[in-house]
Amino acid sequence: MKKLSKLLLVLTFALSISSSAFAVTVASWGGAYTESQKLGYGDPTAKKLGVPINWVDYSGGLSEIKAQKEAGKITWDIIDVFAMDTITGCDEGLFVEFDFDKDFPAAPDGTSASKDFFAPMPSKCAVGNILYSWNYAYNTSNVKGTPKTIKDFFNTKKFPGKRAIYKSALTNLEIALAADGIKPGKGGSKIYKALETEKGVNRAMNKIKELCTDPNGGCVFWSAGAQPPELLVSGEVVMATGWNGRFFNAEIGEGAPIKQVWDGQGLDYEYFVLVKGGPNEADAKKALAEMTSTEGLAGSAKYIAYAPWRKSSLKVMAKGEPWYKDGKTNMVPQMPTAPANTKNYFLVDPLFWADNGTELGEKWEAMKAGL
Amino acid sequence: MSSETKQILTTDGIPLEVSLKKAERKNKIKAFLLVAPLLLFLLITYIFPIGDMLMRSVDDKMVTEMLPKTFKSMEKWDGNEMPPEEVFESFYLDFQKLVEEKRDGKLSTQLNYTKNGFKSILKKLRRKAKNFEEGNYKEQIMDVHKRWANVEYWRAIKRRAPAYTSSKYLKGMDMYKNEEGKIVNVEEDRRIHRILWLRTLEIAFFVTLLCFLMAYPIAHLLATLPMKYSNLLMICVLLPFWTSLLVRTASWMILLQQQGVVNDFFVMIGLVPDDNRPEMMYNKTGTYVAMTQILLPFMVLPLYSVMKTISPSLMRAGKSLGGTPFVTFWKVYFPLTIPGIGAGCLLVFILAIGYYITPALVGGASGTLISNQIAFHMKSTLDWSFASAMGLMLLAGVLAIYWIYNKLVGIDNIKLG
Repeated sequence: MKKLSKLLLVLTFALSISSSAFAVTVASWGGAYTESQKLGYGDPTAKKLGVPINWVDYSGGLSEIKAQKEAGKITWDIIDVFAMDTITGCDEGLFVEFDFDKDFPAAPDGTSASKDFFAPMPSKCAVGNILYSWNYAYNTSNVKGTPKTIKDFFNTKKFPGKRAIYKSALTNLEIALAADGIKPGKGGSKIYKALETEKGVNRAMNKIKELCTDPNGGCVFWSAGAQPPELLVSGEVVMATGWNGRFFNAEIGEGAPIKQVWDGQGLDYEYFVLVKGGPNEADAKKALAEMTSTEGLAGSAKYIAYAPWRKSSLKVMAKGEPWYKDGKTNMVPQMPTAPANTKNYFLVDPLFWADNGTELGEKWEAMKAGL
Repeated sequence: MSSETKQILTTDGIPLEVSLKKAERKNKIKAFLLVAPLLLFLLITYIFPIGDMLMRSVDDKMVTEMLPKTFKSMEKWDGNEMPPEEVFESFYLDFQKLVEEKRDGKLSTQLNYTKNGFKSILKKLRRKAKNFEEGNYKEQIMDVHKRWANVEYWRAIKRRAPAYTSSKYLKGMDMYKNEEGKIVNVEEDRRIHRILWLRTLEIAFFVTLLCFLMAYPIAHLLATLPMKYSNLLMICVLLPFWTSLLVRTASWMILLQQQGVVNDFFVMIGLVPDDNRPEMMYNKTGTYVAMTQILLPFMVLPLYSVMKTISPSLMRAGKSLGGTPFVTFWKVYFPLTIPGIGAGCLLVFILAIGYYITPALVGGASGTLISNQIAFHMKSTLDWSFASAMGLMLLAGVLAIYWIYNKLVGIDNIKLG
């Protein structure tokens, strides 16, 4: 008996070594999101290529991969990162640069990969994965009337009550300007042009300050993605900005009395990057191409309300409606990139934030300290 | 009497003193070997990383090496007007070399730390520089982006010239060294770090005070109650200790928010009107309540361990000598508990000063503390040298408090259990 258990121990050890040598390791955010990635394209890709894919959780940022590299022992092949991190990581030489149309397959109708993706990549190291929205939602039982525009979010006369906004400057300055009357323009370029100037920044900060100090309004600052729906449902606030996938879960998944408003939404992105010198770079590259194919990206939208980066994936979804895993919810109208939802939107500009994030963050905190 | 006559020899003819020393040395080596693993462990996990942090926070060789020609030509430039053509030319040459080596990205990250806005203009410069004609680099570079024609950006480059710098520490105090070498404040609307330092100290101080006020009676009760009750009470103290920090924070949010359980109760018993509920969450009150509860066990346990050793007969003796209960408490009992108070306060204060998850969740507009800023620079901007500098400043603060404590109470008077 003892011998047998020893043998088993040795066997499992050997197995774990050999399997990890072939496997591709992907670091992502965990929770329902990683689940959607795993079921949507991870498992199908692993089956197709015959390469196991391990998913590990991390909490964002580049500090871990930088530390892995400095220690000379890289354990991740692919990382799911924000746009800013693809720029910083690419500049630091942590990630592999792509030859986009060669490394990624074209759409089924022959459109090249670079044209099929919703917007150009922020860096040569990035390949889009999902788009999510910074939109806002309101509690239908606490709000009289129906807020329709981003201006309504700031209109405390018509819709009195507290608002929940994100704790940092990111996207708050943009919606403040959009609500203050600046037309976002194509992809929000006009907003960012205004924010390049001192005047524009002050205008945005004042708009937020006005909302937060208004006796009919007031602000709650949220820091975790789960907070906005929770704050809405508990009645702590009447409106909240947040991530559309979280609102979707509360609204469709749990039947909470909340409704999303897409006007003035900010589209933000998740990307995959390939780690330079990762343990299994060659297989990882193949797996990455497979996961970000038209079918692959459409697959994840079955499990979560984030939009696939490829336009061709939306077509696959429209054909397969009701696409959501419950078998009765149409997913295309829930997509941040759906035509009905992108009448007035801005693309969160990662380069702008990479450029100005620190100083704007300091100004933002100083403004908050004066509330 | 000479020492020779006094010398005592052992049986094998060696002087006793030498022989004793030999034996003692053996013991010393043995003792050292015994603690060697711990020493090594401390060295590797504690002393070395702190030394590394210190180096990182002052080391600026990377940029110095990246732009050697630029810094050389900048030596003559006084920083008042736009730099001369010579500076532009050497900057162009340095930059082209970096582009070839694919290190221009690193430069843009570094320069962006000094002044925001460098990232995009360096990217643009890389694209445009391919088509540059020889000569008149000043005009060509200034044409790339209007920021290149702004003298502020060239001053920012010059500031990165020294191989070792105190700029990160100055930045942590919202200051920088200008062209004349004077230390000046940053613009008023960006002075945030000083606010954050003060806020962090304020919160840590009040949390420590609240913890002390609440823990003292509890610890006293624990120490004086009969065993079977005190054990139960002890479990009550420790139970929250075993619950996840986030769970406890979230529970406070549910309890204290405006539509929360406590407010509902107040409205029910008619204490407050329904349309004017007090705000107990998403402000400093929320932070104090949640952090005090979370850190309370760290105060209770050292206090308890000290109080347990105080013999009840001392209090009785005090009373029999004519002291009122208050006088005996104040003159006899309280001074004996000071080692526990010191240990508990130091523990809670040091833990509180580095807290950031709880304040970020429950603190609302005032929820950002200095550790949030450190985490931000560790994770998002990757400015590890700035994060190290702030970390060391925090460490220096803690050491200062330790020093003050040592002066006032004496560190030998500390008792952790």
